[in-house]
Amino acid sequence: MTPTQPGAQHVASRLMRESLVDKGVLASTESKVTAILPDVNVIQIGGRSIIDRGRSALLPVLDEIIANQAQHRMIIGVGAGVRSRHIFSVGLDLGLPTGALATLSAKDSAQNAYMVSCLLAKYGFVYLEAPFVVQLLPAMLAAARGAVFNGIPPYALWEHLPAVGKLPPHGSDAGSYLVGEVFGVRKVIFIKDVDGLYTADPKLDPEATMIPAIGAADLLKKNLATLPIEPIVLELLGRAKLMREVQIINGLTPGNLTRALAGEAVGTTIHA
Amino acid sequence: MTTIDKNAVLSPLGHQLVEGSLTDAAIMRATEATPNFAILPWVNVVKIGGQSIMDRGRSAVYPLVEEIVANMAHHKMILGTGAGTRARHIYSLAIDLGLPTGVMTVLGTAVAWQNAQMLHYLLAQYGVPFIEPEGFSTLPHYLMERNAVICQGMPPYKLWEHNPATGRIPPQRTDTGCYLIAEVFGARRMIYVKDEDGLYTADPKKDPSSQHIPRISVEELLARDYDDLIVERAVLEMMMRGRNLREIQFVNGLKPGQLTAALNGEPVGTIIYRATSNSSDNGDSK
Repeated sequence: MTPTQPGAQHVASRLMRESLVDKGVLASTESKVTAILPDVNVIQIGGRSIIDRGRSALLPVLDEIIANQAQHRMIIGVGAGVRSRHIFSVGLDLGLPTGALATLSAKDSAQNAYMVSCLLAKYGFVYLEAPFVVQLLPAMLAAARGAVFNGIPPYALWEHLPAVGKLPPHGSDAGSYLVGEVFGVRKVIFIKDVDGLYTADPKLDPEATMIPAIGAADLLKKNLATLPIEPIVLELLGRAKLMREVQIINGLTPGNLTRALAGEAVGTTIHA
Repeated sequence: MTTIDKNAVLSPLGHQLVEGSLTDAAIMRATEATPNFAILPWVNVVKIGGQSIMDRGRSAVYPLVEEIVANMAHHKMILGTGAGTRARHIYSLAIDLGLPTGVMTVLGTAVAWQNAQMLHYLLAQYGVPFIEPEGFSTLPHYLMERNAVICQGMPPYKLWEHNPATGRIPPQRTDTGCYLIAEVFGARRMIYVKDEDGLYTADPKKDPSSQHIPRISVEELLARDYDDLIVERAVLEMMMRGRNLREIQFVNGLKPGQLTAALNGEPVGTIIYRATSNSSDNGDSK
C-alpha cells in the first residue's frame, strides 16, 4: 500500500490516481489481447427464425451440429422468438422500461436454450447460465462435449437504452457475438432462415440480391430498412479486438453449417 | 412458423411486433410513443465513489455513513459503490496479461462488491441489506421497511461487456451501473458522491485556475468534448436516450451536509441535466 494523497490509500499501479475517463489514460491502455478459447466455435440459433418453427427446422440443425462434433468444438447461443415479441407488446402497453423488457425477454431465450440442451443432452452438451459461463465454461468444455447458453446477455435491468424507441438493443445475436469476442473464439456463426444478408428483405422484395461479404461500417452506412442480425452487432464489430467477423447462414439448408465450420464462404460474412 | 392466433388480443403495435422484424426502423419508432411507468418513483440512487470516498477509509466514510443514517428517516436510498484503486491495480495487471475487457469487468465488479460489503458492515446495525443484482426483486420490500439498501455499482454485464472505443478498460462501470438503476426504476434523484464540489472546467486537483460549473446541460457538456470528465462518458450518452431521469447531481462527500442538501432537492455541487426533450416524452411518466 502506498499512501500518496492525503487521506486516500492507494495501491501502486500504472493507473493509480489516474482518471479512468481521461482520453489520454484510456488511449495508453491500448494493447494486445490473448484469446482464451481460440479453438471453440460459437453457433447462434435464431429464436424466431429456427426454434419457433419447431421440429422441422430445429432437429436437422441439431443433427448437423452433432455430425460436426468430432471435428469442431461448439458452444451454442439460443435466441428468444415470438414469445418475446408478445411480452414486449404487453410490457410496452404497461409502460415498462427497457431494462424490464430485457429482463423478461431473457427468460424466453433461457427456455429455448434449455430445450436445445435437453435435445443435445445425450451427446454430452450441458446448459450453462451466465454465472456458469463466467466460472465454468472452460472446465465444462474440457469435461463435456459442448455447451448451450442463453443467447441474450445478462444485462437485465441494466440493459442499455436504444437510440430509438424502447426495445432492448442486445438480443441473442449481440450476446452470442460478445461471448465469441471475449473468449477469442475461432468463429461466430448465426443460424437464421435466410441465405444471408440481402439488399432488401427477400421475404418482401423479389428483386433483392444477396451480399456475400461486407464490412460492418459499410453495412451501417447502407442504412437498410431491416437486417438479419441485430444492428448493435455491427457497432461491436467496429470495436473488435479478436472476433473480427461473423457469418450468417441459412439453417434451413442442410450442409450450410458444415461448410461454414469448414471455413467455406457460405451465406454472408460481415467483417470489422 | 408459430405465430400468434389472429384473434388474440393484441394492440396494433403488438401485431407489428409479432409479425415484423425487430430491426425494422418503423417498428422501433412505433415503440417510442408508448407510455413510461416509473417503478420506484420515490427512490433516490446514491453512488458512493470508490477512489474518491471508500479508499480514504474512516476519515471520509464515517461522516458519510452518519449523514446517510440521518437521512434514512426522510429519504429512501439505493446506495451503490464504486471500485477505486484496487480496480486500477487489477486493470493494470489484466492489461499486462492480455486479458479481454469482459474479463476486466468480472474483476472490477469484485472490487465494487468489496466496497459495497464494507459499507454494508457499517450500516448493518440499521437493518440495511446488501443486495446482488439477482436479488433486485426484493429491493422494494427493504426500501419500504428500512429505507435503504446497498448494492455494488457495476452493471452485471460480466464477460458480456462491450469493448471500449479506445483502449481496454470497461466503458460501463459503476457510474453507468448506478445511472441505469435510477433510469430503469424512474427514480426521484441520481446523486454521485465524490471528493470534489462537482464539475470544473479542468481537473481542480491538477489545475488551480479551473472554474466550478454549477449547472450544465448534457448536450453542452458533450459538445465541449473535454479530455477528462467527472463521470463516465457512457452516462452522458445514455442520458441522451433516457426516458425517465432528467438530471444527475454531483456532490462532495467530504463536506458534511452536501448529500443532505442534494436529497432535499437543493442545487448543491453540479447538476447535469437533459435540455432537449426526448421525442418520446408524452407527459405520462408518473
